[in-house]
Amino acid sequence: MGREINWPRWRLALIGGVIVLTVLLVAIFAPQVAPYGPLDLDVAQMLSPPTAAHPLGTDELGRDVLSRAIFATRVSMQVAFTAALLGLVVGTVIGVLAAYFGGWLDLVLMRFMEVLFSFPAILLAVVLMAALGTSVFNAMLAIGIIFIPGFSRLARAATQAVMRQQYVEAAQAIGMGHTRIIAREVLPNIIAPLLVEAAAAFSYAILLESMLSFLGLGAQPPDPSWGNMISTGRGFMAQAPWISVVPGCAIFLTVLGFNLVGDGLRDAFDPHLRD
Amino acid sequence: MGPAFPTLTESIMTALVTRLLSFLFALVVASLLLFVAIKVVPGTAAGAALGIDATPQAIARFNATHGLDRPVYVQYLEWASNTLHGDFGTSFQNGVDVGPELGRRFLVTLELAGLAFIVANLIAIPLGTWAALRHQRASDSIITTLATLFGAVPSFFLATLLILLLTLRLKLLPPGGYIPFSQDPVANLRLMVMPALSLGIVSSALLVRIMRAAMIEVMSSDFIRTARAKGAPQRVVVLRHAIRNALSTYLNVAAVEFGFLFGSVVVIEDIFRIPGLGSFVLTGILNRDYPVLLASALSITVFVLVVNLIVDVAVQLLDPRVTDKKAA
Repeated sequence: MGREINWPRWRLALIGGVIVLTVLLVAIFAPQVAPYGPLDLDVAQMLSPPTAAHPLGTDELGRDVLSRAIFATRVSMQVAFTAALLGLVVGTVIGVLAAYFGGWLDLVLMRFMEVLFSFPAILLAVVLMAALGTSVFNAMLAIGIIFIPGFSRLARAATQAVMRQQYVEAAQAIGMGHTRIIAREVLPNIIAPLLVEAAAAFSYAILLESMLSFLGLGAQPPDPSWGNMISTGRGFMAQAPWISVVPGCAIFLTVLGFNLVGDGLRDAFDPHLRD
Repeated sequence: MGPAFPTLTESIMTALVTRLLSFLFALVVASLLLFVAIKVVPGTAAGAALGIDATPQAIARFNATHGLDRPVYVQYLEWASNTLHGDFGTSFQNGVDVGPELGRRFLVTLELAGLAFIVANLIAIPLGTWAALRHQRASDSIITTLATLFGAVPSFFLATLLILLLTLRLKLLPPGGYIPFSQDPVANLRLMVMPALSLGIVSSALLVRIMRAAMIEVMSSDFIRTARAKGAPQRVVVLRHAIRNALSTYLNVAAVEFGFLFGSVVVIEDIFRIPGLGSFVLTGILNRDYPVLLASALSITVFVLVVNLIVDVAVQLLDPRVTDKKAA
């Protein structure tokens, strides 16, 4: 078999890619795509089931559920992107420094990361949000902090592997500075596994953000987020289940898309993990 | 053998002591982090306990009574020492002793996480095994796809859907609440069905993959080939040899997942109004009730840390090769 392309897996990655692209486009062009504004009230049409005017129904204030779900995409993407980026950048800096300089710096940094890593992520997110105060910005910060130890472990292991290569020794031998060795030799060689991890972090961030909003600790009403929409809709489950079901399906599809892309990236970058 | 070549037992002992020390270190740092994080929670405890009409004098008196006017490190040391002596303080909100309440709630969360864990294993072990035995055939793809789908559902959305289906449409189960097992076992379990399913199904997504991978690896190993060559029937090969070996790898991950489940009960307890540690955390946040929030968040963290410690020690004792692998 060897280098034969595994079509079923690629097809899944492709489906994931299409979902991710669609979600990103919807987030960017939300005002153009959404039939109504996220806060527009249609008082005559409260708790309306899906109709021609409101394809996915309306909520308890007569707001269009489809439009709110579309605008909520923005919050999710912003939080997930910023949180994953924060985790990636800070985690990589810590991991690379720990591996490159070793010694006590490695010991101190990694011990600290280990403690952060051993916290249950959901509990940490909730406590951090309580400490920082409820806002979308703080959700980015809290979720980003949770990702730092994972990225730092990965960056450290990858850097250690690179440091054993002869080209790093050669660079040190010709007197290249630390900054240049890290930028030119280390970073380009550790970036692939970190990006795979970033895709996984992205989908986990979407889940965590929606959970925080669901608990009332993230995006605050009336601004729509998938989590707070599900939470509001729970009060109307008997009469108007679409209020919760629509944003729930949006989370499911988005997370699924990012997971499929992540699996595809892992297969592409690391053939050993394929079975 | 000189001191440069430690014996196997010595290297295991060293590894265990190191692990224990890192556990204690994590415990101290975690408690410190929680304490500091909770101290900076916006809005003051006095404000939440006394209401918005409280006079500055009343607030000052409240802070003095509860020692909130002293430096944070003094407060931490006192709290840590009290906690170590089993004194978790009293709730700012209603003056009730937190300790006994914590014990009751711990058992509730333990039951919920335990049942969810059972659900996750009941899904993951058979499906993972089946997928591995049908490796790269249709049922393998179906099961793998199913695991991918489960992994993308937020547990709180699954909970919402279950309530919609089982409570509102089919009227089979109550929407939430809690009755102790000792009081009425049947009612207790009926209330636990939806919470345990919501957590367990989501959690099985990872475990199916682990079980499948472990079984695939075992099935291609030499001793399975030998068993087959000796003419052992497939049923014996799978049940007596393969599953037993795959489970040792699987349980390692599953135990860590149990700790993870215990740490992720917050939302589910909130939805189903289960009086466990998770909902205690939320109550603590809502009321700025520091003793409640600290005690509940810390107990969850300590439990997870202890589970991870036990897993590591068990792995160490059962498989000495791990020590060497880590050293290499």
